Amino acid sequence: MNITFDRIEGTSLQYRMLLLVFAALAAAGGIATYVVCQKGIYITGMTNRVPWGLQIVMAVYYIGLSAGSLVISGLYGVFGKIEYKPFARMAVYVAMLFLIAGLMSILTDQGRLDRVFVEPFVHFNLQSMFSINPLLYNGHILICIIYLWALFTEKKTLTKVIATLAFGWAFCVHTGTGAIFGFGARMLYESPLLPASFVAAAMASGTALMILMIVGLFKITNRHVDDELIIWLGRFLAICTLVVMYFLAVENAYRAYVVELRGAALYYLFGGFHSILFWFGLMIVGLGVPLFILFRDRTGKQIRWIVVASILVVFGVLCERYVIVLPGLTHPPELFPGMEITASPLVEGTASYSVSFAEVLQALGVFGVIGFLFVWGLKVFKLLPNEARISGPPGPAV
Amino acid sequence: MPERISGKRAGNKQTLLIVVLMLVILFPLVYAVVGSAIPRGSGSPGEFLEKATAPGDTCIRAVEYMRLHHWELLRQTREEVVRYGVRDETGLDKCKNCHTSRERFCDKCHLATSLTPDCWGCHYYP
Amino acid sequence: MDRRDFLKTAGGTLLAGTSCAYAFRFLTSTYANKAGTDIPASGKRWGMLVDLTQCREDCTACMEACRRENNVSFHNDTRWDNHWIRKIKLSSEHDAGGEEKSVIMLCNHCDRPPCAQVCPVQATYKRDDGIVIVDHHRCIGCRYCMIACPYNARQFNFRDDEHWPNKERPKRSHGVAESCTLCAHRLDKGELPACVEACAKTGAGALSVGDLNDPHSTISRVTSTMAVKRIREDLGTEPKVYYIGL
Repeated sequence: MNITFDRIEGTSLQYRMLLLVFAALAAAGGIATYVVCQKGIYITGMTNRVPWGLQIVMAVYYIGLSAGSLVISGLYGVFGKIEYKPFARMAVYVAMLFLIAGLMSILTDQGRLDRVFVEPFVHFNLQSMFSINPLLYNGHILICIIYLWALFTEKKTLTKVIATLAFGWAFCVHTGTGAIFGFGARMLYESPLLPASFVAAAMASGTALMILMIVGLFKITNRHVDDELIIWLGRFLAICTLVVMYFLAVENAYRAYVVELRGAALYYLFGGFHSILFWFGLMIVGLGVPLFILFRDRTGKQIRWIVVASILVVFGVLCERYVIVLPGLTHPPELFPGMEITASPLVEGTASYSVSFAEVLQALGVFGVIGFLFVWGLKVFKLLPNEARISGPPGPAV
Repeated sequence: MPERISGKRAGNKQTLLIVVLMLVILFPLVYAVVGSAIPRGSGSPGEFLEKATAPGDTCIRAVEYMRLHHWELLRQTREEVVRYGVRDETGLDKCKNCHTSRERFCDKCHLATSLTPDCWGCHYYP
Repeated sequence: MDRRDFLKTAGGTLLAGTSCAYAFRFLTSTYANKAGTDIPASGKRWGMLVDLTQCREDCTACMEACRRENNVSFHNDTRWDNHWIRKIKLSSEHDAGGEEKSVIMLCNHCDRPPCAQVCPVQATYKRDDGIVIVDHHRCIGCRYCMIACPYNARQFNFRDDEHWPNKERPKRSHGVAESCTLCAHRLDKGELPACVEACAKTGAGALSVGDLNDPHSTISRVTSTMAVKRIREDLGTEPKVYYIGL
């Protein structure tokens, strides 16, 4: 099969407006980060009891979204499904950008931004998930760059090798991200299932994002894509979504069953704003409805409905990231089992967290940066295929 | 194919030029990073510096050494105090006994060389 | 030469140049950073003993002394106030009319500190004598230690506090984590921690520190003969703050 890739022209008014919007967002985020660094992070919503906030939520969300390349490189590079080759360049480029976004979110969240580029490289602690993960992320960015190079220069053996490597490495990346929380000491964090469910949620959100980008970009740029390809991705999305739901169910059932964790489980499931996000944002809107759409014969084969399901999954996984990070922090650690702390100069009970304006700007800023890079990249690199068809003269795999 | 060969030669020259240019751009970084690890000879800033009013004792090291390496000594001391709990004669608070003014003994030089160590955000120095 | 070749050459040179420079720095620094490793270990293992039967409920001498000694930041806002040592009130969940108990909480200086385990830059670490300390010159402010600490004992400097009562001691810039140091600077000089001193002077003498390695120290004798408790011993962190009457 002969696939030719091309740049987009990028001369239309809309294109320039889009670039401008992303640039403006990035600038706003930069200013917000500067102010936060100057004044101290008290102007975010974080407190002594809830020391991680929106930036960490966004960081793990972005890292998860990069899994689209995991799926595509798995299909094309590892399992040799040549019909997904048209999307490979785009998927890897997007994965690289989202990994950069994840790293940026984590970096801009640090209290001492001036030291972030020195100390972690000089004093490395291999026991810390925060030391291991940037290594995994940076490694993945590097792999993505080599992968892109292999794809651009059509190097077949290298593509196969690097696709396999990227596939395995991405698993480590998402497992490691999950381990930041799963290996943590908070009652609602500690769970060996969390890294695994992180991989599943990452693949779900990554696939959903890939569907959205393929359908959207091909439509805007008047390119043809065979419906079958999208429908197959939709089916894969359905399976990932089901796995996420399964993991969540097992995890919560475990917590509710074990006496020690029952209080925490009740807090998680029925304890406030995060519970609303969990039930409505994640379980119903983010997983249930997409599952219904995708498994139903009539809707599961219509591109329009698959797109709707993808949007819902992308939103649902954002909720999932929020309900992983924050309830674990606002829920109080059990200092004295059987006792109740009635007075303290610190907040010892259930804490609260509300997102602040500065954090939203920071998060949008990171999105602006990668949005700009993506839209610009479409003009600079030959990322988009002229068309994506299943049929065609049979060619050698990879 | 003579054109191709000559084109290749021109390409080589260009490559060389770019490599040289990049190395020039990188030079400050390389110089700073490598230079900080190489012990340097005395390049005295001379009369720019002020003399401490010693209340008796002399400084813990020679003047020439202190001018160039006081920061290394401070950093080493910091490491010893903070991480190993060794609190002997080379602490910051001991320096203050003779070098009584931060303005005269730190800021003057550091402003001129536009170095801004962030010691004084947390440590007190009159 | 087209754009691609230009990018390749330029990028390659930049990468090679920077990595050479940093490799050189890294190789030479391994020698420079060795300073201090030949310092002999003190052989001590500091621990604290809190006698809650002595502690007076209305007394906050230890908290005030700590704040004065260590310039702990305070903004009169529970979101950002830091308390290296704090007094809390406990009551049983099961009988509502039961007596309230007042308990002193501070960093437990665990023998297996989870905070030091997760610190990505080794800013939090355990000294030879068992004190867990944050190196504020190194902390990048990632706040992972606060997540890892099961005792709620670590806090973060969310904003600058201009108040500087003890000029002999440093305060903290915003953006670094901190916790009780057991007044390591005083213990190193052979003095008692500020809270212990204040408790003996104006309080009830409920606090004491001692060497757990020395079998003749008060703390060793008390912990081996009396019924003492530590907070959440089941977590396996091996805290070194012992309570009488908890």
